[in-house]
Amino acid sequence: MREETLAIIFGMAVVTFLPRFLPMAFLTRWVVPERVKMGLGYVPTAILSAIVFPILFFNDGGKVAIQPLYLLSAVSVFIFSWKVKRLWASVILGMLVYWGLGFLM
Amino acid sequence: MTNNGQFREGVKDALPVVLGYLPVGMAFGLLARNAGMTPSEAGLMSFLVYAGASQFLAIEMIYKGMTWLPIVSATFFINLRHFLMSSNLSLYFKKTRLPVLGFLSAQLTDESFAVAISNLPKVKNSPPYVFGLQITSHLAWVIGSIGGALFGPFIKISEYGLPFALPSLFICLLVFQLKSVRHYGIMVVAGVSSLFFKWALQGNWYILLAALLAGGIGAVIEIINGKEKTGADRQEGDGKQGQSSKLKAQRKTLRKCLEFEAQRRISRSRIEL
Repeated sequence: MREETLAIIFGMAVVTFLPRFLPMAFLTRWVVPERVKMGLGYVPTAILSAIVFPILFFNDGGKVAIQPLYLLSAVSVFIFSWKVKRLWASVILGMLVYWGLGFLM
Repeated sequence: MTNNGQFREGVKDALPVVLGYLPVGMAFGLLARNAGMTPSEAGLMSFLVYAGASQFLAIEMIYKGMTWLPIVSATFFINLRHFLMSSNLSLYFKKTRLPVLGFLSAQLTDESFAVAISNLPKVKNSPPYVFGLQITSHLAWVIGSIGGALFGPFIKISEYGLPFALPSLFICLLVFQLKSVRHYGIMVVAGVSSLFFKWALQGNWYILLAALLAGGIGAVIEIINGKEKTGADRQEGDGKQGQSSKLKAQRKTLRKCLEFEAQRRISRSRIEL
C-alpha cells in the first residue's frame, strides 16, 4: 500500500473516531441533568427526519428535485411500517415498491 | 438474557442494515478501484474509517489528486453529526467501562444508531447487544467494499430495489419514533430545516444543524410544559442503586406489560383515526 493512501486512511480513522467516542466517554461519567435528558429525548426523531427528508427531495447530484419514484416508495414504506411495525418487512416492501415502480416510470 | 443471547439478538437486528450496506459497500469498492485504490486499500479504509459519506467523498478527492489534509478535514466535518448520536446513546451506558465504550463508539453509524434507538430496552447497559448489531453491520460494509473492488464490474448493485433499502430502513425507524403529536411536530421542523440547510450550505452540516434546531425546540417545549416524562426517562427510570434483582425483574415485566398496552392503544387509536 502507498504511504499517501495510508496517511489518508489513518487520518480519517482518527477524526471519525473522536466525535463518536468523546460524548460517550464524558457523558456516561457525568450525572446528566433532567433537562438535558429531556432535550436529548427528541434527538432520535430529529436526526432521522434530517436524514430522510433530504434523501427524498434532493437528487444524486445534490440538486433540489421532485422524484416521484422516491416519494411514492417512501409514502408506501411510511404507511406500511405505521400499520405493521416490522422493520424487516418494511425494508423488503420498500425495495419491492421501488423496484416495481422503476419498471413503470 | 445471557451475553451470548444479547449478542445474537444484536446480530439478528442488524440484518436489515446488512441488506443496505452490502450494495452500498460494493458501490464504494467499485468507485475506489476506479479512483486508483487497490482492493486491500478499499477494505482497510472501510474497516478503519467506516463512514459511508466521508469515504465516497474521500475517493472523489483522491481521484482529483488532493492530499491528506483537505480529505481528513472534510471527513471530520462530515462526521461531526455523530457527536449528537453518541451523546444520545451515552444515556444508556452509564455502567460500561471506558475501553468497552471506545469499542462500541468506534462502530457507531447513522444506521446502527437508528436501529439501536428503536430497541432501547435491549440497548440499555447491554454492550453485547450493541456489539452484535454493530460488528455485523461493519462486516457487511467491509465485505461489500472488498467485493465491490474485486468483482464490481460484474455485479448489478442498482437492481432489485437495493438503492432503496437504506432509505426504507430510515423511514421505518422514523415511524417507530413517532409516539406523540409532538414527535410529528419535531419531524416536520427537522425535515423542513434539513432541506433548507442542505440547500443553503455546502457539505453535510444539514443533519447536525437540523437535529440541533429541532431537538432544541423539543427541549424548550418539554421544559415549558413541565416534567412530562419522555421515552428516554422511562428507560432510565430503573437505574437506582440498591434494588434487588428480583424487584428489578418485576419492574421489567411490569414495564413490558405497560409498553405492550401502550402499543396496543396507539395502534387502536390509529385505526380509529
